[in-house]
Amino acid sequence: MLITMASMSPSKTQGQTLLLRSPLLHSSNFKTHVFAFLTNNKRSQSASLKIGVVSKLKTITQKEKETPISRKIILSEGKVPTLSEKEEVSTKSQKKTEEIPVMGLLKKMPRKIITALANLPLAIGEMSTIAALMAIGTAIDQGEAPDYYFQMYPEDSPLYGIFSWRWILSLGFDHMFSSPVFLGMLILLAASLMACTYTTQIPLVKVARRWSFLNSAEVIKKQEFTDSLPKASVQDLGVILMGAGYEVFLKGPSLYAFKGLAGRFAPIGVHIAMLLIMVGGTLSASGSFRGSVTVPQGLNFVMGDVLAPNGFISNPTKAFNTEVHVNKFSMDYYDSGEVSQYHTDLSLYDLNGKEVMRKTISVNDPLRYEGITIYQTDWSISALQILKDNEGPFNIAMAPLKLNGGDKKLFGTFLPVGDTDSPNVKGMYVSVFYLLHHFPILAYEPRSMLARDLQSIVLYDLEGKFAGVRRPNSKIPIDIDGIKITIVDAIGSSGLDLKTDPGVPVVYAGFGALMLTTCISYLSHSQIWALQDGTTVIIGGKTNRAKIEFPEEMDRLLDQVPEIVNSSSLQKSFDSL
Amino acid sequence: MIFFTLEHILTHISFSIISIVITIYLMTLLVHEIVGLADSSEKGMLVTFFCITGLLVTRWIFSGHLPLSNLYESFMFLSWSFSIIQMVPYFSNHKNNLSAITAPSAIFTQGFATSGLLTEMHQSTILVPALQSQWLMMHVSMMILSYAALLCGSLLSVALLVKILYVNERINFLQNTSFLLFRNYHRHQLIQQLDRWSYRVISLGFIFLTIGILSGAVWANEAWGSYWSWDPKETWAFITWTIFAIYLHTRTNKNLQGTNSAIVASIGFLIIWVCYFGVNLLGVGLHSYGSFTLTSN
Repeated sequence: MLITMASMSPSKTQGQTLLLRSPLLHSSNFKTHVFAFLTNNKRSQSASLKIGVVSKLKTITQKEKETPISRKIILSEGKVPTLSEKEEVSTKSQKKTEEIPVMGLLKKMPRKIITALANLPLAIGEMSTIAALMAIGTAIDQGEAPDYYFQMYPEDSPLYGIFSWRWILSLGFDHMFSSPVFLGMLILLAASLMACTYTTQIPLVKVARRWSFLNSAEVIKKQEFTDSLPKASVQDLGVILMGAGYEVFLKGPSLYAFKGLAGRFAPIGVHIAMLLIMVGGTLSASGSFRGSVTVPQGLNFVMGDVLAPNGFISNPTKAFNTEVHVNKFSMDYYDSGEVSQYHTDLSLYDLNGKEVMRKTISVNDPLRYEGITIYQTDWSISALQILKDNEGPFNIAMAPLKLNGGDKKLFGTFLPVGDTDSPNVKGMYVSVFYLLHHFPILAYEPRSMLARDLQSIVLYDLEGKFAGVRRPNSKIPIDIDGIKITIVDAIGSSGLDLKTDPGVPVVYAGFGALMLTTCISYLSHSQIWALQDGTTVIIGGKTNRAKIEFPEEMDRLLDQVPEIVNSSSLQKSFDSL
Repeated sequence: MIFFTLEHILTHISFSIISIVITIYLMTLLVHEIVGLADSSEKGMLVTFFCITGLLVTRWIFSGHLPLSNLYESFMFLSWSFSIIQMVPYFSNHKNNLSAITAPSAIFTQGFATSGLLTEMHQSTILVPALQSQWLMMHVSMMILSYAALLCGSLLSVALLVKILYVNERINFLQNTSFLLFRNYHRHQLIQQLDRWSYRVISLGFIFLTIGILSGAVWANEAWGSYWSWDPKETWAFITWTIFAIYLHTRTNKNLQGTNSAIVASIGFLIIWVCYFGVNLLGVGLHSYGSFTLTSN
């Protein structure tokens, strides 16, 4: 919350008003109430009118709802709080905080622990440790069986002479990102974040918001940037500064202006956003459900059968009873023949068999229903539908074949040799099983069919020689060693991932807050003091971040201050002070 | 075909101009201020910027998607970002001492991209289904921009360290005074300027990095249902973020400022390269689009 005050004292010659129009006051961030009160002061002869402006700053953080902390400070003439020197708050010093009801609980905790946690070198050490642990986590393969580690890091020739598998497994480095060491460091970092925000950042806000006048020229001249303008008036400077976006306060010959105060608040927002993300991440880790399923076109499954809990507070919802039906699986292709997108047309039915939702999903376009999301992640070919000598159609299962390297897929099947009238079910399963283990010999199997995608099927004859390519739905038969085969359809199956995650809204809120507050903390908090010393104006200023741009900006602004040449107008301007 | 030749021409033009510009800078370093040339080097950088922009636009039109889908394209984008960073201070009327860092960086990245190591990636390729998303533009461009800014800033810090060590040694050689007593006012000014520039550029890069990582996380959630899966590239991006957060924090405390923050930023330089390049050499994980094998051609 911000208080600005202007003092208007009617002089003998004319009523001079110094109204400060600050752009900030009228922006949407502030709700302004203006009230004025007249005081009669015994010390001065004239009545002075005080105008106090009380504004409520709309805060950025998500945690504070629509109840901003508002306070009113009423100031009277002559008792302006002057700090002769505004000091930089060092992170190591302790600041006394005012009573805030919410924080009252925390006062019970020993003060020493909080201060110890908020120590900056400790925080830097924690961050470095976390970074180092993450780097180790990428260097060591995660999630393998213990056997793997026995082989990779044997005891008789350990890494760098010391690190054998014992180190890795006992410290939990094989599952680094859920190991106690790593999670412990994260918790410690979170504690430090909270302690730092409480002890350092919040008092910083109060100190930064207090405005102060410097009344001595020597002190002003000691600032980082300093200049003096002969034959100028401090009011002109004030007007120029206001035009440049500063909030200006004038008291007698003394001026104080600042800009970019949000840049001081934003780091608090950053820390709070990070805490929010951590909370969301914890919720995700402890309360989500996930599952994967490959469903051939035309079949269906129940969500609850697929989703498995992923934490200890996972609770299934009513939506888990929904039945998902894969109506159609299709793929789009580029002109070159490569796959451009997969689509699955899904229908959701509730317990009563009523269709509640229908959507075609593709990669990057999932289906969302009552907190459960279905993603298109994979695909395969489940069966070929063929006509054999115009009889059929027969469904022949296709099995995936393992290729060396790459993520291209290949599916194969073959037409069993023998009487098609006899139920050759056992033979079919055997042949698929055979396929999986004996791919190199496939080319020599009778009448085999290979497919890379749903577009075209490649057929081989009894000797394993290439016989032809057919597209499903083209209805063109192919003759292979006496048998006429027509490919009717290639039936695909869709690989779907299901997930429900209660932490996602919290995490997204944290992300948004983090992005916003990081951008805002780029702003630099600049402060300018000026003093009218005779006909000269002495200016001093400092800024916390934009130390390069600040002197140049100041030079530009000071060049715009008009030089007063007429001595009588100069006299007039001094009568008003 | 015409696009291909156009690309070729633009690449060569920009490459040659940057070489000329760097030669001019080197000359002005060794032989004092040749005024006429100083201006032409600025113009040279402008032309380079337009060339690389033209290159990227051509690729965009030709392939139908933003040119950011493999390592070659991201390198070209990186050199484009360097040329932008080069030009920003020029347009806001600051004295341009960043150019000594950005111009060579632009040429090195471009040179590497067009070199024989990555020839199989020069052709524009189609996007796999997982990359067909609006998020591609936001996430990848933010990440590359942030790499450019952070690389600049950390190079400035390295320069700062070199300067400090050099000055320190000279002073120790001349007389046994403490580090803070500078005989040469201008050297002190330069060090201060380097320090402040590096802080400002790294802050900007940090913002872009934050936005890039978070947009990547949101995209991952939309595509695969998990906003963070400890993929090597993600983890290293987070490590980079952490290092530069440490850098920003060391600067809040006056005791640690100066040399210590420069050391952190220099470590950050190495880490960015591991994140951007080193992880791709592994070729595994969700970010395998950027991977390649070093072919000796």
